[in-house]
Amino acid sequence: MTNTSPATPPSGQAKPSPLAGGSTAGGFTRGRLVALAGGMMSLWAAAVALCMLVPWWVPLTGETLRLRLYRLIPASVAGAALSVAGVALQSLLRNPLASPEILGISSGATVGAMLAMLAGSAVFIGVSGAGSITAAAAAGGVVTILVVYFIAQRRGRLDPYTLLLTGVIVTAFNGAIIMFLYRLAPPGVFREITFWSMGQVREQTEPELLVLAGTVVAMGWGVLLGRAKGFNVQSLGDDVAASAGVNVQALRLVSFGCVALMTAAAVTLAGPVAFVGLIVPHLTRRLLGADHRRLILAAGWVGATFLALADTLCRASAFWRVGELPVGLITAAAGGPFFLYLLRRRFRERI
Amino acid sequence: MTQQAHILQVQGLSFAYRPDRPAVLSDVSFSAQMGTLLVVLGPNGSGKTTLLRCLLRLLRIRAGEIILDGRAIRSYSPEQLARLMAYVPQIPQSAFAFTVAQIVMLGRTPHLGALGFETDLDRRVSRSAMEMTGTLEFADRALEELSGGEAQRVMIARAIAQQPQVLLLDEPTSHLDLKNQLAIYRMMVRLAHDWPMAVVCVSHDINMAGRFADELLLMRRGAVAAHGPPASVLRSDVLASVYEVEVQLLAGPDGLPLVIAR
Repeated sequence: MTNTSPATPPSGQAKPSPLAGGSTAGGFTRGRLVALAGGMMSLWAAAVALCMLVPWWVPLTGETLRLRLYRLIPASVAGAALSVAGVALQSLLRNPLASPEILGISSGATVGAMLAMLAGSAVFIGVSGAGSITAAAAAGGVVTILVVYFIAQRRGRLDPYTLLLTGVIVTAFNGAIIMFLYRLAPPGVFREITFWSMGQVREQTEPELLVLAGTVVAMGWGVLLGRAKGFNVQSLGDDVAASAGVNVQALRLVSFGCVALMTAAAVTLAGPVAFVGLIVPHLTRRLLGADHRRLILAAGWVGATFLALADTLCRASAFWRVGELPVGLITAAAGGPFFLYLLRRRFRERI
Repeated sequence: MTQQAHILQVQGLSFAYRPDRPAVLSDVSFSAQMGTLLVVLGPNGSGKTTLLRCLLRLLRIRAGEIILDGRAIRSYSPEQLARLMAYVPQIPQSAFAFTVAQIVMLGRTPHLGALGFETDLDRRVSRSAMEMTGTLEFADRALEELSGGEAQRVMIARAIAQQPQVLLLDEPTSHLDLKNQLAIYRMMVRLAHDWPMAVVCVSHDINMAGRFADELLLMRRGAVAAHGPPASVLRSDVLASVYEVEVQLLAGPDGLPLVIAR
């Protein structure tokens, strides 16, 4: 018997991407990796340059540019983190419906961060709380992923659908805690916490928080890149992966750890931005094919670009009558229907 | 290339899923030689697949020793083991839409560096694996576009791209029609004799096994009931006691016995 349950879903895509590079297109070499990294970085840089000019009717000064950069950078870091985490989760669970939000990791990190914020506001830790907020978010993410994993696993085997369902339930439970924490929030921080927990990049992200979160994301991304060939062969099943020299348990442990930390960093910077970790991996896979050595690298830059653009849309929305929308609203509005579309297509495929 | 004729030796292997449960395998000993096809036969629940999973080190054995290329398999690192032994699962599956060429290249995983860059050698080896299995013509297609037989050949190509000395297969023909069963058995014989490697295949098809295998290992309730060339294993008294049905042997077209259950 193979190690996967019969419920293991079929692939999310019917055909390999034309850009995937088959036998004739040549393989994966250092040059191609550098070219891909360069191309993706330029994509992001171009998007950020464009976003710096929005809103274009406001005169450009050093101060406005600085303020805009201070939102674009955290948004990019959060987008990259959630997207790479999404790729890793989808690969590990062999399920294109997995993402940090759907498995409840984002909500767990939100609970952790909110607890730290409330504690901070109560005892006036102030800005030096940046590290403790990130740490608390990470703790919340790790605890949630452990709970979800141990409920869904049996003797080291994971049933993908039990896992998704467990994620949904844990998210609902965390939602209850979050609502309770709202009630505890003093009026002074209530407004900020409310907006942040909808998914919003703050006007002023403390530099030390940005450095800390950025370092966590970069390290997690690097570790996952080093595991990319393991993710690839793991797509063929745990037994095949093990017989090809992959330590499947270690791969899972390390990757879940990276995913929890990166999600926590993203949540600290931008709140629980919904569905980025679902949409971006799909877009990137469409574009580049299933090879995780390319996918993990590219998804980070695509996610950074995606969230930078979405956040700029929000900044621009401040000039409409509704006032500034949280970026989480935009990603959720786009991501909800997208998730349903994926779900429908998978049901069709299985019939 | 190894000097050892008996590349894989199993000595007194015992295994139980839990200490308080009866053993699934007890005192299993046999060996597989380079250049031969060994087919493991036996009724459902006789421990064939468990044996395979022990050989792959997916299960931790309770007693005994599995020796690969002169060393106990527990002394190998995962990648070292993967360079000596490869595995073909019963049901080909890929969670994401890899091309056939990419899947075959996954066989090179234990030979690649940390970032997974491919060299000319990796490309040459996976190309010849595809040539050998006749999968080159659909190199750019996805696994799920292929027929069952084609997909199984892709999984074999991936396994031999690992350049193993021992190839393990778990009922590779159980979902295939007659023509494809024949093709897979012929491929296993060619791999064993010409590549050469030791091919160990778990199967339910006594007649195919009798026709193509160099050696048979017949399992019964977690123990070896018979081990040797097909002519010595395929006897009506042995088969009757192992499968608990009456069997009749008919003379086949090329002198091999055909087994009929009555």
